[in-house]
Amino acid sequence: MSNYRTYTADDKMIELICENYHLLLVMSRFGLSMGFGDKTVKEVCETHEVDTNTFLAIVNFLQEGHSQIIDSPEKLSVLSLMDYLKQSHLYFLNFNLPTIRRKLMEAIDCSREDGIAYLILKFYDEYVHEVRRHMEYEDKYVFTYVNELLAGQKRENYKIEVFSRKHSQIEEKLSELKNIIIKYYNADASNLLNAALFDIFTCEEELLSHNMVEDYLFVPAVLHLENQILINQEEGNKKGGAE
Amino acid sequence: MKNNEQIRIAIAESSTIIRCGIVALLKRLPDLTIVPVEIGSMDALTSCFRAYAPEILIVNPTFEGGFNPTEFRSRLSTPKIKCIAMLSQLTDTTQLKQYDESITLYETVESLSQKILHLQHIAPQEDAINAETLSPREREIVVCVVKGLSNKEIAEELNLSIYTVITHRKNIARKLHIHSTAGLTIYAIVNKLVDLSEIKD
Repeated sequence: MSNYRTYTADDKMIELICENYHLLLVMSRFGLSMGFGDKTVKEVCETHEVDTNTFLAIVNFLQEGHSQIIDSPEKLSVLSLMDYLKQSHLYFLNFNLPTIRRKLMEAIDCSREDGIAYLILKFYDEYVHEVRRHMEYEDKYVFTYVNELLAGQKRENYKIEVFSRKHSQIEEKLSELKNIIIKYYNADASNLLNAALFDIFTCEEELLSHNMVEDYLFVPAVLHLENQILINQEEGNKKGGAE
Repeated sequence: MKNNEQIRIAIAESSTIIRCGIVALLKRLPDLTIVPVEIGSMDALTSCFRAYAPEILIVNPTFEGGFNPTEFRSRLSTPKIKCIAMLSQLTDTTQLKQYDESITLYETVESLSQKILHLQHIAPQEDAINAETLSPREREIVVCVVKGLSNKEIAEELNLSIYTVITHRKNIARKLHIHSTAGLTIYAIVNKLVDLSEIKD
């Protein structure tokens, strides 16, 4: 992202958004509504009972080019982070990916005899199916596991490393589809096709940064939580032994 | 032409200025796709290695009061991690023996690129191999893949060993930047290698 500065709790929310409109997505995923007037980040977050630290951590992570692993994961609210990720999943699956499909349908000529339009849509549908599987796995298994951790329970047979080590890039295949359309879909230039391609480019970036939030903020925060529970258990055992 | 494979490189350096500089340089490397991971504390370093498996670690020997590659490799059971020392001040040369490579503040794009290629055993790509046009044999294989044949079936059909088929498929993916069957199908139809009616659904 081009505009590059670190935001604090006392910055005005309107400045944040105007300097980087991508942050609108972050706001809405946290359930922060517009119409906030001249309130600061902290005030807007508190009005909506959102953890300001977590909100700012994501904002600054995205601003700084999403490459740094969080230094102090203990300051993040895992619950807020998880809500944010769930909302992101809903955004991709229920809004963004279906919108792109509709635009693609409008842009490509389905009456062509070579069947390319049909194959492009088939490719796209297969892709969306993969993304759905990927995100549903996280919703069903990973988040359930983390909810248990938040309740103070640590399952023996699972740890977040199992997830992080095989967490795959999901935007690559979308990038492949986009390249194929640009390189091989031979048709007259059209505004509709451009619009669909712009959406795909943006979606690719959003999926990448979504994955990075999971890898560089969420996973370290969960690792920290796992450690805390283990430490608590050991202390509990010691106390139990001493009594 | 960029190498398709991504290399995950962790940068453990407490100076933000140096860390951001290294990241900026890594993104400029012409032949490689690097996924940089910035690390500013020992906790973050441990998280990073527990959660992922970076291929290379660029680390300041003075990181968090002194970094010891040998101890680190055994503590996190990553015996093969390649460590590059980031030298921003005078460092004891005996200490450097534990590192696979070292870089300085004056590293150029070319020399950094060479060092990473060397550590990863990536041979510089020849122009001839880089050409995006497929050989006749590779085209035959694309047609088979698109028709839904497995590697084993392709090997039988074309009288090749299965390993040769796999090598061809890797080269095809590298040349065309297409990894999926769905993508190859579109490529094959556009380039008239097959007809829509020949494709099994």
